[in-house]
Amino acid sequence: MTSIADARVDPAKIERELAALWRSEHEGAPRLTRAALWNVVAYAQHPHEHQLAEQVMPDVSVTVPQRTIIVAEQEGETLDSWISANCHLVGAERQICSEEITISAGKSRRGHIAPLVASLLLPNMPVAVWWLGDLPDENEKHADEMLDDADRLIVDSSQFDSVTDLVRLRKITKSTRTAAADLNWVRLEEWRTATAALFDPPAMRERLQNIRAVRITAGGDGSFGAQAESLLYCGWLMAQLKSELEIDIARGDEERHMQSIEIRFEDGSTAAVNRDSGRNVVVGTGDANAEPLDCVVRLQTRELAGLIARQLRKPENDRVYEKALHAATELAGRRG
Amino acid sequence: MTTTDAAPNPLREGLERERVPDPSVLVIFGASGDLTQRKLLPALYSLAHDGLLPPGQTIIGFARQEYNDESFRKAMREACDKHARTKPVDDAIWDVFARGLFYEQGDFGDASAYQRLRKRLEEFDATRGTGGRRLYYLAVPPQFFEPIADRLGDEKMVHSPDSGEPYTRVIIEKPFGHDLATALELNRVVVRAFSEAQVFRIDHYLGKETVQNLMTLRFANGLFEPFWNRQYIDHIQFTVAESIGVEKRGNYFEQSGIARDIIQNHMLQLVSLVAMEPPAAFDANAIRDEKVKVLRALRELRGHEENAVRGQYAAGSISGEEVPAYRQEENVDPQSRVETFAALRLFIDNWRWADVPFYVRAGKRLPKRVTEISIHFRPAPFALLKTLMRNPPTPNVLAIRIQPDEGIALKFDAKVPGPEMRTAPVTMDFRYETSFGGEPPEAYERLLLEAMEGDATLFARRDEIETAWAWLDPLLESWSQSGSGPEMYAAGTWGPEAADRLIEGDGRRWRRP
Repeated sequence: MTSIADARVDPAKIERELAALWRSEHEGAPRLTRAALWNVVAYAQHPHEHQLAEQVMPDVSVTVPQRTIIVAEQEGETLDSWISANCHLVGAERQICSEEITISAGKSRRGHIAPLVASLLLPNMPVAVWWLGDLPDENEKHADEMLDDADRLIVDSSQFDSVTDLVRLRKITKSTRTAAADLNWVRLEEWRTATAALFDPPAMRERLQNIRAVRITAGGDGSFGAQAESLLYCGWLMAQLKSELEIDIARGDEERHMQSIEIRFEDGSTAAVNRDSGRNVVVGTGDANAEPLDCVVRLQTRELAGLIARQLRKPENDRVYEKALHAATELAGRRG
Repeated sequence: MTTTDAAPNPLREGLERERVPDPSVLVIFGASGDLTQRKLLPALYSLAHDGLLPPGQTIIGFARQEYNDESFRKAMREACDKHARTKPVDDAIWDVFARGLFYEQGDFGDASAYQRLRKRLEEFDATRGTGGRRLYYLAVPPQFFEPIADRLGDEKMVHSPDSGEPYTRVIIEKPFGHDLATALELNRVVVRAFSEAQVFRIDHYLGKETVQNLMTLRFANGLFEPFWNRQYIDHIQFTVAESIGVEKRGNYFEQSGIARDIIQNHMLQLVSLVAMEPPAAFDANAIRDEKVKVLRALRELRGHEENAVRGQYAAGSISGEEVPAYRQEENVDPQSRVETFAALRLFIDNWRWADVPFYVRAGKRLPKRVTEISIHFRPAPFALLKTLMRNPPTPNVLAIRIQPDEGIALKFDAKVPGPEMRTAPVTMDFRYETSFGGEPPEAYERLLLEAMEGDATLFARRDEIETAWAWLDPLLESWSQSGSGPEMYAAGTWGPEAADRLIEGDGRRWRRP
């Protein structure tokens, strides 16, 4: 990956500079192909978040071509922007490049950010806002303005510090046209796939309505964020089965992720989904036939860039997540 | 048509694949052969890798070669190591996949082998939850279809779709006959044991993502379909070019030639997908009904031999290397008159396409491997800018690249900046790789999955096969009776000069893909 140009420009010049950037084919360099499926706005409120966005977004654009706009809040009153192109080689002949625009804004200029971002979006392409860090409070107007054009709000509930964040997220999905997209939900995908696969054989499918209880062992420090993944899993199961279940979330070892799930049926029998850390897979085991049948799902990357890319590769909003979020919020509220 | 009786799995909602087939036993006849090792097992493994096979899915190879379960698994592991799309093979996935992999040794005509096979299948129903669901894959030459179908029938291993029993399906590979007579005979043999609804005829072109995208392009976009007719389209070109020669398939190719090998099946499938009317529904029979109407509307070639050209490659150069002539290839008659290139001008005599030429060409030892469809639009109706323009406008072309570099490009004219009215063709380019990344699944992965799910949309129906042969037969007969043979072309060129004359005589040119 290379950054092939940098130019500090005022906002009006950004598009012209970008056009010039695409014309600038270096002699002997592979042919440039410009591509975009998304506008992705990464909103960083602190320097370390800005640094994180700058590290992560070029990697995301390798797998999902996009126009990236990184908004970095700063102290002071400045409002600057600059551009670059993130390129990667496809074969020996062609480079695929995506654009990156960075807007650096002093906190006192917050009100200018949303209109500026709106003017820089690629027309007629969906918009995702990746909100790094805490979700904004309801009374923060600039955040609402940022979401006006957003089709998707990307958050990471593993960073949430209380059920209030889940409630706020649920409220956004209900009261705006912006769909929530949670990186923790992407982390759950292999667990959901292994659980679903367990119940694919007709003999197991018949037992879905006989599930009585779920016990999850999850690692971490016991904070709300560490439990969010387990809450979402249980919320998903209850929402999809349309039934209440006895839930037990036990604390596992230090590593902050789910380690095992035991599904208990009315008749006392069980099915299980376990993480095999040695082989980096999750394994589901059911006992519907004479011979226990496993299903194995390879765990994919847990790195942020990979999680965001997987989220963006889904063209449609995730209604199942919304149902799971609703159920998880209720469950978290009941558990206190 | 799907035959899953149980309610859908609600936990699948929103996942990458919202539905997976119920576990079944897939019996591969001819499991020791090349197709199984190069395509089928790697495709099945890749499906397992992507989580698209249900727990309990069982595969049993059946062939004469001496294997047992363990040695078969070992051989298939080696095949997957070499040929699977998802490499390296994932040990954790393979271990579970291989537990469902078995082998039964037997002769295709030996009743006792089928009795053993039946017993094992019944065991799988109990131990692996396969529930009596059966798929028989005939990865064998057509002469074995009859003994296999007969023995399966004798051993009551085929359930009629009306019986209320779990499904039985059969998947067969091309060639679907050598001509109309043999195709009719083959179909007669197959439908003696299976009803047409149980037969899945594989044309692997239909499993390619870009071929499936033809329907998306036409019917999911409001832009194209209004222009998809004789009023706006001047002509359409189809090119299936291979840079390789016949390699080790000399024996086979001497019996088939390019017209039987490519045009009768792959190419006519492409023609019918491009030319068909919108189907009433997106289901197997509605789509295949429309495709077969196109084939029935093809203007007869009998008496119109000027619409066809054949060629055979002579020695030449490909990618900087000398390559031999067809007649010098292994297992090829040194006096062979078999065509390795064919170009045809087709007409579809219906309301939509009357008098629009469809130029198709397929050949071996052409400069590169490429499959492409190009739609050439009529010029603007009035040359408004003619007096001002320094160069004449070029017609718009929509090019659909099937392989490699799958994608779609639209060529149109734009004004060159400056004081004069000069135009230049420019291209709007869409490439799958650029936009979506990743590698699309192999055609066999998609087709095997569709057969397991009972969806026959991507498989050829009996009447398609027979109609295609009925149309092509007179040309093949005329070629075989002709005193002259195919025109020679040097390997590494785009075919014989007669192919250029075929299209240039109409005032058009082949597009260079």
